[in-house]
Parts: sequence; structure tokens; C-alpha cells
Amino acid sequence: MRILVIEDEQKVSALVKRGLTAERYAVDTTADGLEGLEFFEAYPYDLLILDLMLPRLPGSEVLQRVRRKNDHVPILILTAKDSIDDKVKLFELGADDYLTKPFAFAELLVRVKALLRRGPVNRSSTMRIGDLELDRLTQQVKRGGRRVELTAKEYSLLEYLMQNPERVLSRNMIIEHVWDQSFDGITNIVDVYVRHLRTKVDEGHPFKLIRTVRGTGYMIRRGMES
Amino acid sequence: MNRNSLRARVTAFYVSMLALALAVFSFAVYGGVSAFLTNSMERTLMHTAESIVADYLVPLNAKGDAWFLSEMSESYPAGISDPFVRVSQGGKILYESGDMREPLVRVSKLSLPSDSASVKTLRRATAETGQSLMIYTLAYASPRGSPIWVETGANMEPLFHLLHSLFLILLVVTPAILVGAAVGGHLLMAGPLRPVVALTEQAEHIGRKELGERLPIIHSGDELERLSLALNRMIERLEEALAHNQRFSADASHELRTPLTIIRGELESLLEIPELQTQAVEGISSALEESDRMSRIVNNLLTISRLDGGGERIEMLPVELTSILKITLDHMSLLADEKGIIITCEAPAPVWVSGDAMRLKQVIVNLIDNAIKYTPEGGSILVRLVAHEEQAILTVTDTGIGIPAASLPFVFNRFYRTDKARSRESGGTGLGLAIVKAICTAHQAAVSIESAENKGAILRVQLPLLHLSPREVSELQSKLPEASAPKEHLASARLSQ
Repeated sequence: MRILVIEDEQKVSALVKRGLTAERYAVDTTADGLEGLEFFEAYPYDLLILDLMLPRLPGSEVLQRVRRKNDHVPILILTAKDSIDDKVKLFELGADDYLTKPFAFAELLVRVKALLRRGPVNRSSTMRIGDLELDRLTQQVKRGGRRVELTAKEYSLLEYLMQNPERVLSRNMIIEHVWDQSFDGITNIVDVYVRHLRTKVDEGHPFKLIRTVRGTGYMIRRGMES
Repeated sequence: MNRNSLRARVTAFYVSMLALALAVFSFAVYGGVSAFLTNSMERTLMHTAESIVADYLVPLNAKGDAWFLSEMSESYPAGISDPFVRVSQGGKILYESGDMREPLVRVSKLSLPSDSASVKTLRRATAETGQSLMIYTLAYASPRGSPIWVETGANMEPLFHLLHSLFLILLVVTPAILVGAAVGGHLLMAGPLRPVVALTEQAEHIGRKELGERLPIIHSGDELERLSLALNRMIERLEEALAHNQRFSADASHELRTPLTIIRGELESLLEIPELQTQAVEGISSALEESDRMSRIVNNLLTISRLDGGGERIEMLPVELTSILKITLDHMSLLADEKGIIITCEAPAPVWVSGDAMRLKQVIVNLIDNAIKYTPEGGSILVRLVAHEEQAILTVTDTGIGIPAASLPFVFNRFYRTDKARSRESGGTGLGLAIVKAICTAHQAAVSIESAENKGAILRVQLPLLHLSPREVSELQSKLPEASAPKEHLASARLSQ
């Protein structure tokens, strides 16, 4: 999988490149909109990560020109703006997703993975992590074969964690998925719900599935493999 | 009509001046006419009496009584003569014209003057038939002995009648003139004041909406033209200041967010290093937590700046607050449970307002979060939402630590903390209530707080109520799933496809 990163802030693009390379993606970076467009025409990329503020050719212009030539390549926008108007405009121009700075790398990774696997998505109704089982049809959760009773929010939280096993999910990502942006700034709500979920899912089991990654967020680990 | 408006005040002023002038004028006219009529009556009476003396009494001795009687009855015929006359000597009547007819004025019973009376008197008397009379008495020193008294008298009723009519005319005409002047003046004032009214309306419009518009310039060359020009210059400076503020927000957003991204990324990749010392992990994690908080502060600050500066357009759509309130309370119930706080919700009926659902929800979230934060374990919170007199009133009452009176005016300020140590410990950004205030202001809503130390606090939000017909409500509710999904969900919706 080859990814093109067009970002004029050297340190940001270096971080993105380092992180994505560690995840075994091939990553090219450029700091210039026009050069980015040339790169894009020269190589078949699977994903484009695009900053909006670029020298020579602004990101929105790059986005439009790419869309005129290629309908399929997923495009992830990095932006420092987050007003609703800006977001809607981006989607109208053909962006697939956006990420507002500052972001946790884990967040970027989750979005990259989601964009790359778009198409054949695992639609199976049951998700399994170790001996934890979640049935999306009946909304039932079992650990080691025994029913775990969850509230609606706890269920959504667990489902989101299980969709992204072994991935650190930041509090912001969890807020946006399980709650909504109105709860922005009330991040301790995530901690409280995770604590409750953990009590129900992990208590009495020697292997704790739900882990806290300090300073970043939470993740769910595959118990049986480790 | 506004009683304090310039137009009303100017009209009232000149109408009262006019009223004063008219009152003075009326008194003068009435007094003048009254004096003139009385004087001329007196003069007529005196003149008649003097001519009787000169024409008939002086030649009396020479011409004889018969001549006197025939001359008198010809000049002053009985019953017709006005003024009536009576000539008497020593209590004996020489001639009298007698009672006046049409109308009947009975004067024949009036007492005769006695010889001791003064030579010339003017007196008032009342006729037997009730009329007021003016009687002039003149003594003529007759060569035949005792003085001859000549009395001339007139009925004063016609004079009184005239004065009464004049009084009535003044009484009716003066207020009529005043009313006419008031109405006319008020209408007349509309002309010169129309530009001022237009100016005011346009200024109010600009105040509510965009600063891009300008006031109409009044090309009158007078004070109004200067006023409109000055106001436009002021709006221009305001617009510049706001634009500058918004530019600053946008710039600051980019400038702060990029370094924050880098700090975050670098710290995260440091944590990836295997076998890092515990102390290093602690330090890096702590720095990560703080960069996270800084991001939140930057986000919140920008939200407030945009709301304050009008940079963020609030889309005013019909929103049903009760359901949003209940869902939000449900989502936050665990936060309260954690501290053993009981939240009671009183929201009996649907309440519709006009606003941005996401932002209004944020108000509720921040108010509840604030209440939970400052309420000790085992306390309780009462949330009420009611429609009352054109307003949706949301109150959040807690049994928390309360706020000292001295701090009350500042609680909606950015970064204001009543108890610095405690609130920092709870991980807040210090911007929760400032955001509430900014959102409320953008919604033309009022937010207020009542509190006393250790007595808990009551936070109250008052939004203008939206009146919808039952049909509109059912139409809106049929579209609800779409309407209730904020646009922010677009991204996550796409992500989870």
C-alpha cells in the first residue's frame, strides 16, 4: 500500500511518515501542492493525505484536481480549521475524511485503515476478541461464554473498541464516535464509562482486555494471542 | 407610541407652549370683551340720563309737565325703551317707561332713590323677574325744590349671555386647536424624523446580522448627515476590529494546532521506544496529557472567539429541547452515579426553540458537568425545563459548594475559577461556562446564576420560545432522525460505513 503525504510542515509529515512506515506502508512526502500533484500523476497511490494550507497550490485546489482525474483514491484531509462550513465544503469537494489538528497518531492510523479497507468491509454480525464475543444483531455480549449485561452506551463503547483491536483510541475519538461533539471538553466521561465497562468485562478474568494507554487513550487487546 | 421618542417630546413641548399661549389669549379676550361690554353699557346709561336732564329737565320749568310727559313717552316709550328710564322727585314718579317686554323685565317695583343718595351712582340690582340689572342714577338739582332723580337701567342678561357664548366658544375652540396642532405637528415631525427612523432600523438590522452593510447616508447637509456618516465610520471600525479578531482566531488556530500536533506526535513516538525507564514513561505520559488539555483549551477558546465574533454562523432551526435534555442526562448519568449524586429531571412537555441543536446540547452538557463537578458526593441536582411566557427556561440547581457573592459576576468569564486548586484537579479547561455564555449570546438567550457560598447554585438559561402549529411539529418530528444528526457526524458516518 502506497500513501502520499502532502504537508508543508516538515515535522508533521516526518511524524506521519515515521508512524505509517512502522505500520508497513510505503510513504512519500512532499511539502508543495504542485509537486504533490506531479507525484500523484506519476505513481499509483492507494491513499492521499492532504494538508489544506500548502505553498504554490492550496490543498482544496489539489483535492479538486485529483478528483477530476481519479474518482477512486481515498483522500484524508488534515486541517487546522474545524468550523462546520469548512467541513461540509471539504466533503462537497470530494474528500473522504478529515482530521483536525492536533490529532493523536492512533487516530490518523484508524482513519487510514478505515479508508484503505473501504469496499470489502467485514460485515459479519459477530465480533470476537479472545474469549469476548459481541453480536451486533442481538446486541449481546459474552465473555468466556457468559452473558455480560451492558447499558446502551457501554455497548457502543465496547463495539467501537472491538472494531479497532490493538489500536489506541484517544478520548476525542471515543467522544466523537460514542457521544458527539457536544461533549467536547468533558473527556472524563470516557474514563468513567471505560471504568464501568472494564468492571463488567474484565473483572474476575485473569487477562484484562481493556487497557489504558496513559496520555493517549484506551485500547482493547487480543488476550489469547499474548 | 413611545412617550419618550423625540417626536412625542417635541410635539408635547410645543403643544404645551401653545396651550399656555392660548390660555393667556382666551383670558385676555374674555376679560377684554367683558370690560368693553360693561363699559359701553355704563356709558349708554350715563349718556341717556344726561340727555334726559339736558333735553327734558332743564326746559321743564319753561315748557311744562304736559310737554315733558309727551316728549318722554315719545323718546322712551313705555315697555319698549331700552334702557328703561324713570324720573322721580321726592318719592313721586314723574315718568317711567315701566316694565320691559319681550323678555319681561319687571322693574316697576324697584325702590325709588331717597333724597339723601349721592348725585351719581351706578348700581346693580335684580329685577323681580330675576334678571340682573345695571342702574345709573343721576340727581338733577331742580329749581322747583327737591332734586329730580333720573334713573336709567338696562338688562344685563344679553351681556351675560354673550359672554357665556364667548366662554363656550373659547372652551371648545382652544382644545380643538391644540388637538389639531398636536396631530398636525406629529405628522409634520414624521418628515424630518423619517431619516432618523430609517437610520435606527438599519442600525438595529446591522447590529443583529452582518457588519458588512452600511447605513443610508442622509444627504441633507445637516446634523443628520453628519450623524449617519459618523455612525458608518464607527461600523467600519467595528467591522475592521471584528475581522481582525476573526483573522487572529484563524491564524492562532493554525499556528497553535500545528506545533501541538508535532509535540503530540513526538511524545507518542517516544513512548514507542522499547524498555523505556518508568520515570521517562511517566514524564512523557504526563506531557501527553497536558498537550491533550492544551488542545482542548485551544479548541474551546476558538469556539468562543468564533461565537463572540459572529464568525460561526449559527443555523437557527427548530429544536425540541426536552428530548435533547433527556438524552443528554441519560448519557451523563454515569458521571453523576460515580459521585452518588442524584439527578432529578422535571421536563413535563416538549419545548421548541430556534437554534443549533449541537450547540444547545453543548450548553446542557456543560451546565450538568459543571453542576456535577461542584456538587459533593451524595448531593443532588435538579434540572427543570419549562415554557413560561414566551420563554424556554432551563434551570440547573445543585446542592454543591456554591459560589461566594464576590465571584458571581465573573463566573462566565474565560478561565475564571473560584477555587483554583479544586477545579484544576478536576481537569477542566476553565472555559465551560464561558462557552455556555457565548452560545447563549449567539442564540439571543440569557444566562444567569444565583448562588451563595455553601448553598448550592442555580444556573438559568432563558431562550425565546418558538411557537409551532401541531402540523409543523408533526412535520418536524417525521424528519427528526435526519435533523438530530449533527453535521459533525458526517465524518464518523463515512468512517463506519
